[in-house]
Amino acid sequence: MSHPQDLSLREQADAVRHGNISAKELLDATLDRLRERDPSLNSTPVVFDELSQVQISQAPAGPLYGVPITVKDMYALPWRAARNGTTHNMIPASASGPYRNLRDAGVIVVGVANQHELGMGTTGVYSAYGATHNPWDLTRCAGGSSGGSAAGVAARLVAGSLASDSGGSTRIPGAYCGVVGLKLTYGSVPYDGYFGAATTFSAPGVVARDAGDARTLTAALVQRPLPQQTGSGLRIGVVRDPFWNDVDHETADVCQRALKLAGWKVTEIKIENIELAVAAFLGRLIAEAGVPSPDVLSTISAPTRALLLAGMLTPARFVPRADRVRAAVRYSLAAAFDTVDFLAWPTSPAVAPLLEDTWVDLPSGRIPVDVPNVRQASIANLAGIPGISLPVGLSTSNLPLGLQLLGPWGSESRLLDAAEHMERVSEREFVNLLPPLAR
Amino acid sequence: MSVFEDWARATFRHANIEVNDEDVVLVELVYAGALHQLEMLDGIDLEDFPARGIDLRHAPKAT
Repeated sequence: MSHPQDLSLREQADAVRHGNISAKELLDATLDRLRERDPSLNSTPVVFDELSQVQISQAPAGPLYGVPITVKDMYALPWRAARNGTTHNMIPASASGPYRNLRDAGVIVVGVANQHELGMGTTGVYSAYGATHNPWDLTRCAGGSSGGSAAGVAARLVAGSLASDSGGSTRIPGAYCGVVGLKLTYGSVPYDGYFGAATTFSAPGVVARDAGDARTLTAALVQRPLPQQTGSGLRIGVVRDPFWNDVDHETADVCQRALKLAGWKVTEIKIENIELAVAAFLGRLIAEAGVPSPDVLSTISAPTRALLLAGMLTPARFVPRADRVRAAVRYSLAAAFDTVDFLAWPTSPAVAPLLEDTWVDLPSGRIPVDVPNVRQASIANLAGIPGISLPVGLSTSNLPLGLQLLGPWGSESRLLDAAEHMERVSEREFVNLLPPLAR
Repeated sequence: MSVFEDWARATFRHANIEVNDEDVVLVELVYAGALHQLEMLDGIDLEDFPARGIDLRHAPKAT
């Protein structure tokens, strides 16, 4: 047998279930892999060497019995507080709702996935644990805020990770690291013990190597079957400006080729008031995010502190207007989903930026990457809808690119059907690409 | 000291939050960028954007 972490999540579950490998052997191999590969990535800064062994003895014989995963630092665990990428215990140790669902499926939480501090960035540069590095190029960002989840899965440290998404935080790292990132519909799982409960924009997400693994992990997370259907013949709506026009040309070309390869019916559409979506997202998110206590503020990075402090100064008059726009955009999206199955555009406007320089050059100019990343992602968080980032190939600089699909409320299973279709028509070319660190 | 800096420092002092010079410079940049976006909301006609319930778990109810 190859290294167990080179197996998919489904294969790992099957191997344990059929006795081809014991849960302890799988865990020990995973801990070895983490020790071997993670020092250069910093994707999983906290590893539960002993506690994960204890979990094996307590795990129920669920569909994912014995499968090791990581959990983002936004979720409280019974033995560890959620720190949210800071040095502070933001939510006391407890069995958070999403953790409970995965625990009941039999997973083993082998470590805490690194994240951008307080979830307030799309690069993963700022974290109390240090930056997460991209396994495709260690000088580049893994993305954020769930960068540790994506980097660890891409580097074959674990086959799945529980992430979260308040403004692209699952989808963007998925794109940067060449893995699947699925953001759930708002409120799909219990939010207790989950830091994302503090805003109306956040939803748990899963990161996996392919759509089949994402489906398996998501089904465990939402505790219901996600039956597979065909992903061919879908109707895809594209909104050119700004989502395709103001992105790096190579990114747009690669995503366009993937859509063509899928053979879906692609139609250019307009979504009323979409130009106000980012303003509405910011208007309410700033109000909801609030400001943490002075002791937390004093220990976080200067850029994150500035984001929070600027929020203190922002006039409240925007909030009711943001809500009006939010409601209108939701109606516009619902109308769009009467005519197309999904919306599609590049997840991120360009490849992962350098850790040392997180600005990107776009047709509209040079800009901090957080701005266009949030622009590409935040409509899903504003509306509550699910979204997925699929790997669709590499740039000429050998860095992964992701195509984003956004679907109606509750359409996670159909999004995964689409992702599986893309894998079939590409003969798994994109999901089988391995970063240098994992070769 | 600029009007912005004066206001920002007074606000943070009132909240018992210590800030340094770099903080104030960064806050001014972020604030200006956010305000640029947010002022788009001032331009909407509320008649065109009625207040409606928002249940993020589901599609909006048909009208």
